[in-house]
Amino acid sequence: MKRIHVSEDIRLREGFEEFVIESDRDLDLSISSSGTCQAFFRIHHAKSLRIRAHVERNSEVSLVFWNEGHAKLTADESYEVNENAHLSVAHGECSGGETERNIYVALREKKARAEILSASLINEKKSYRMNVVNFAPKTYGEMRNFAVVLSEGKLMIDAVGKIVKGARGSVSHQTSRAMSFAPGQNTTILPELLIDENDVEASHAMSIGRVDDEQLYYMMSRGLTMKQCTALISAGYLMPVADVLENEEIRTALRSELERKIESL
Amino acid sequence: MKELKIKDLHVEVEEKEILKGVSLTVGQGEVHALMGPNGNGKSTLLAAVMGHPKYRVTSGSITWDGKNVLEMSVDERSRAGLFLAMQYPQEIPGVTNSDFLRAAMNVRRESPVPLFTFIRSMEKTIRDLEMKEDLAHRFLNEGFSGGEKKRNEIVQMELLKPDLAMLDELDSGLDVDALHIVARAINNMRKEYPLSLIVVSHYERFYELIEPQFVHVLVDGKIVTEGDAELARRIDREGYDWIYKDYNVQPSSEAAAEKKTRVSLGSCAVSEKVQAKK
Repeated sequence: MKRIHVSEDIRLREGFEEFVIESDRDLDLSISSSGTCQAFFRIHHAKSLRIRAHVERNSEVSLVFWNEGHAKLTADESYEVNENAHLSVAHGECSGGETERNIYVALREKKARAEILSASLINEKKSYRMNVVNFAPKTYGEMRNFAVVLSEGKLMIDAVGKIVKGARGSVSHQTSRAMSFAPGQNTTILPELLIDENDVEASHAMSIGRVDDEQLYYMMSRGLTMKQCTALISAGYLMPVADVLENEEIRTALRSELERKIESL
Repeated sequence: MKELKIKDLHVEVEEKEILKGVSLTVGQGEVHALMGPNGNGKSTLLAAVMGHPKYRVTSGSITWDGKNVLEMSVDERSRAGLFLAMQYPQEIPGVTNSDFLRAAMNVRRESPVPLFTFIRSMEKTIRDLEMKEDLAHRFLNEGFSGGEKKRNEIVQMELLKPDLAMLDELDSGLDVDALHIVARAINNMRKEYPLSLIVVSHYERFYELIEPQFVHVLVDGKIVTEGDAELARRIDREGYDWIYKDYNVQPSSEAAAEKKTRVSLGSCAVSEKVQAKK
């Protein structure tokens, strides 16, 4: 595990690496990679985080950012995905602090793929802006956001999928789902598709709502308390974020961390 | 001895009275069949015992093992030993069968069930119900066929070992083979301990397998007649018309609803409604 205290250039190695971000200052990280790389970033503390990543041709990169700090975090991330490269970025948010995140993904060369995933347990103000732009033919972009919004939570997602003219045969999908258990939460989701090419596939899906009463009744009729039901449903809702990494140890750790967080609500 | 006692129960759903004074006592280890035409209160009775929030008990009482069931929450009723195999089991995406069942087993124990013991008993139950091996890892009922959902209800019942199980049209959606599998699993449980059952089914075939000692017929929110297994056989042969005649009762709701004017596509529904009002 490597600790990051100052701005630096990170060259990811093949395989799995783990980082802890711990800094009182603004951090600037430049990430590059080739081959198949998986990296897990635990964010303990950072005032602001600026990430620039280049995903080289034919490489496959999976990044998970797990924010568990308690102070406000401002993140600005941009990713360049080149020919036939595959990028997965997942954001896990279960921090007690406010988060403002801006993500820009350029599918720069043909057959570039990017999947952007977020899972958030929200009891503070969280605001995500994400732009995924298909610049080249046969590129694939997908955004998936899942949030459990608690009574003091305020969530704002502005997700834009854009396909420029000439990016034939490209795909842009997005799904955002927010679930709440209690009144008093506030959720805004703005899904946008900007499409300037005819030969494409694009979709967006969105839902904001409370857990279905019939589902709760069904689970409670097997003896689970309301709290246990909400914990199980929330964990199931947010867990896919850990599946981005193949590392079983990290996945199990994230699952139990999430469960602990949810149970302590 | 654990006994379920329902006395003069009145239940409303959305301000409409469905049960109009039902009394029923189920002793430990007894098997009761609840029959009657659709929409006359069978499912309502079971849902009221389990505590579905939509079903409002306006008067009467339900006690289980001497305790007032109506004061218990749904989960408390379950932990007290009541179980309802639902007619339409819910799909819960994101929650695996094994996580769900382990949590449900643990809430009724002082110390959590050891993982190994859990896996062993889950595997045995899956074999008993002849379900696919990956059941434990699939999300609760998600994407299950109608028959799989019903079998999964019995998987849950076998693992939770309730004292009183209510089966709401468990046999609908099951083919003949599955019906035998499910009945065998239930009968095996009855051999293990004095399980009480309230069974709602329209089919004599299921009653042949489960062998109820008591049969009650619910028409328009009331139990109009009671008997033994022979009553179920007669209803299977002759239907309910003789009961309506002998006991001078009329079935409610669904039969009446059938007669409502149907508006066909292609006609103006609004104008037909307006005309119907005239």
